Amino acid sequence: MKLQATAVRAALGAAILAAASFAHADWAPTKTVDVIVHTGPGGGSDLLARAMVQMIEKEKLAPVRMQVVNKPGGNGAVAAAAIAEKKDDPHTIGLITSVWIAGPLTSSEAKITVHDLKPIAQLMLEPAVFAVRSDSPFKTLKEFIDAAKANPGQLKQSGGSVTSRDNIIRQSLQHATGAKWNFVSFQGGGERLAALLGGHVDIMVIEPQEAGEQVRAGKIRVLAQLTDKRLPGYPDAPTLKEAGFDVHPTPQIRAVVAPPQQPNEASAYWEKLFARLKDTPSWKKYIADNQLEEGYATGPELRKHMAQIEKELREVYTQAGIKVVR
Amino acid sequence: MELMAGLLHGFQVALTPAALMMCVVGVVLGTIIGVMPGLGPSATIAMLLPLTFKLEPTGAMIMLAGIYYGAKYGGSTTSILLNVPGESSSVVTCIDGYQMARKGRAGPALGMAAIASFIAGTFGVVALMLVAPPLARLSLAFSAPEYFALMVLGLAMVVLLAGESLTKALLAMFVGLWIATMGTDLFSATSRFTFDRVELLGGIDFIIVAIGVFAIGEVIGNMEAEKPAEMLPVPKGWRNLMPTWDDMKRCRFAFANGSVVGFLIGILPGAGSTIASFMSYGIEKGFSKHPEEFGHGAIEGVAAPEGANNAETGGALVPLLTLGIPGSGTTAILLAALILWGFKPGPLFIQASPQLFWGLVASMYIGNVLLLILNLPLVAVFAQLLRIPGYMMSSLILGVSIVGVYSVSSSMFHLWLLAAFGLLGYLMRKLDYPSAPLVLGLVLGDSMEKALRQSLMMSQGDISILFRPIPSVLLAFAALLLVVPLFKKFNAVRVQVIDKEA
Repeated sequence: MKLQATAVRAALGAAILAAASFAHADWAPTKTVDVIVHTGPGGGSDLLARAMVQMIEKEKLAPVRMQVVNKPGGNGAVAAAAIAEKKDDPHTIGLITSVWIAGPLTSSEAKITVHDLKPIAQLMLEPAVFAVRSDSPFKTLKEFIDAAKANPGQLKQSGGSVTSRDNIIRQSLQHATGAKWNFVSFQGGGERLAALLGGHVDIMVIEPQEAGEQVRAGKIRVLAQLTDKRLPGYPDAPTLKEAGFDVHPTPQIRAVVAPPQQPNEASAYWEKLFARLKDTPSWKKYIADNQLEEGYATGPELRKHMAQIEKELREVYTQAGIKVVR
Repeated sequence: MELMAGLLHGFQVALTPAALMMCVVGVVLGTIIGVMPGLGPSATIAMLLPLTFKLEPTGAMIMLAGIYYGAKYGGSTTSILLNVPGESSSVVTCIDGYQMARKGRAGPALGMAAIASFIAGTFGVVALMLVAPPLARLSLAFSAPEYFALMVLGLAMVVLLAGESLTKALLAMFVGLWIATMGTDLFSATSRFTFDRVELLGGIDFIIVAIGVFAIGEVIGNMEAEKPAEMLPVPKGWRNLMPTWDDMKRCRFAFANGSVVGFLIGILPGAGSTIASFMSYGIEKGFSKHPEEFGHGAIEGVAAPEGANNAETGGALVPLLTLGIPGSGTTAILLAALILWGFKPGPLFIQASPQLFWGLVASMYIGNVLLLILNLPLVAVFAQLLRIPGYMMSSLILGVSIVGVYSVSSSMFHLWLLAAFGLLGYLMRKLDYPSAPLVLGLVLGDSMEKALRQSLMMSQGDISILFRPIPSVLLAFAALLLVVPLFKKFNAVRVQVIDKEA
């Protein structure tokens, strides 16, 4: 009897479990899914989102159409608010970048931030390298830093906004070595590169893909990579650590989030979808063509990464005298 | 010889039925989105990009480029007919184009826009083909101090855009400069004039201001007219819809001016087609024998800026294709497209992918001819729009403006902004303030401020960096622009005094 009861209970339990896991796997989108991005059409996130939607379609990972929705403005703040407004909608996800973490730190206007949203999955890391013109006297990063130490404030780096990764790594290096050099902000990546090639600045942080062709044409030289391990495209350039600088480059991430109260089964569906996407040939080709770094992580890991990145940014901003508002 | 071989090869590529088809699709799409305010080439190209993965890259590039330069043709249509700029680079065209339409010369204005676009657009392609590599290297000599001086020269053109009163024009310009400072500051990450609104963190898009001040201001102004606005006359007959031979002769200088200025500014990665069109308009008026006609429907005021924004396309492709440096939003997307298709844009691109480069160049010759053939008959169609009675016209303008702004921002907040700027435009009109200087200040202010701060960061505060050779020349021109009217005024006063004494 007892055995029977146990067997029944076990069977029941298994059935419930199976049903639960079945239900778990069973949620699937039933109508068009919105992918919210923080740039206008043609911005970095927008282009990635459109390419991603295309890959998901090609690899038949979702039963419905997905469409990119642009909510530009406020370094992600407008898009974050738009995602939060969707409350428990299972058919909305958002594509974020590190900018969503950095932006709110310096602008009090952002009432809703990326930390109010539900993390789904981290997709990739965006690596970068330090480059100088090929006729530059600096053959290594150490030579540049030494020169900056000898002539404080004489050398110049072109980069993006003062809160961008370009300036953060400069601040960290300056802090670690005591060297001082200038940082000149430019709005667009093209202008930064033009300033370096034209000889108006001495060094810049540049994306590996963009740098590759300039290196091949003999226009620039890569001194070091802002990564933890060497990129396949740059087997000969040392990482910061290998170059002798014990500085940890704050990673630049791209990741997926969802509205704050999205039901767990829907979020699980999305997490699984991106876990499958990262192993597809289309995704691998995209990463290779654009010289990005694979960096898939689950929702809970993503939450930790975002908190860590925010902590690092906060430290560097405070050191650099950038006003942190929260 | 190498050039001829390249071009010949290019035409072989561009004249295949598939490539020709892509070119037609591109320029037709371009014209359509150019006509529609708000939706611009960069948004369209970004949205179409995923669809091009399955296409053969040369054909896809021919199509996307067709959208890019085709939009420049269409942009003038609503500027001339409705006073609603169809593209940011067609803002200046509103000034004289709309006045021409009000005088019943919408047809010649539209026709001239197409002809000037064709001439300058073709010039841009020729120049791209002949002088791309050396000029691209030269463009790298341009840095922050040079851009600053260029922007100052642009701002000095306010003298030329001013109506009766220079004081009022300057005031309007300063409001424009103030609006340009709104948003997050690139250099310090502090918010300026955001009024705690998250939507203002990115500043105010100047196209919203331009549509508000020009189009909405005009609508409100028309509403208070006591008698219903008269229908605008539309002359009958094809001949009367086209620019006359006299018009063409008057625009000789404008064609050359638009072509050269547009192309040169296009090459600079930090300028752009809006600045190119303002510059060539200013130069046109500055050198004109009858500057008093500008602002009241001078056909050169349409030909010069419309030419310039088309020549700019050829120029903007120079740094993109020869150096791998995108100078504008649209060229940045074209760069991304090239990477997605497996090309490697950079200094070696033309050598490595001659098929794509020459195919593209050849297709642009064909595309410009196609656009001329496409746009001239459209003139007759669009000119009929003016037969619409005034009250319906106002609703049409309102509708087109609202859809245009919403399609860029997808936010209600920006529609309220549009309304506010419409009111501002109306008040300015009532009080006789010219609106062009406001838009000019807004367009140039942001770049000028950045360039000045970049220069001073480069020189560690030493102002002499602004007086290296190129900036010095540009600044001298700017000073000349500002001083000449003073002399004229002084002279006029002196003549009066002499007259009285005599």
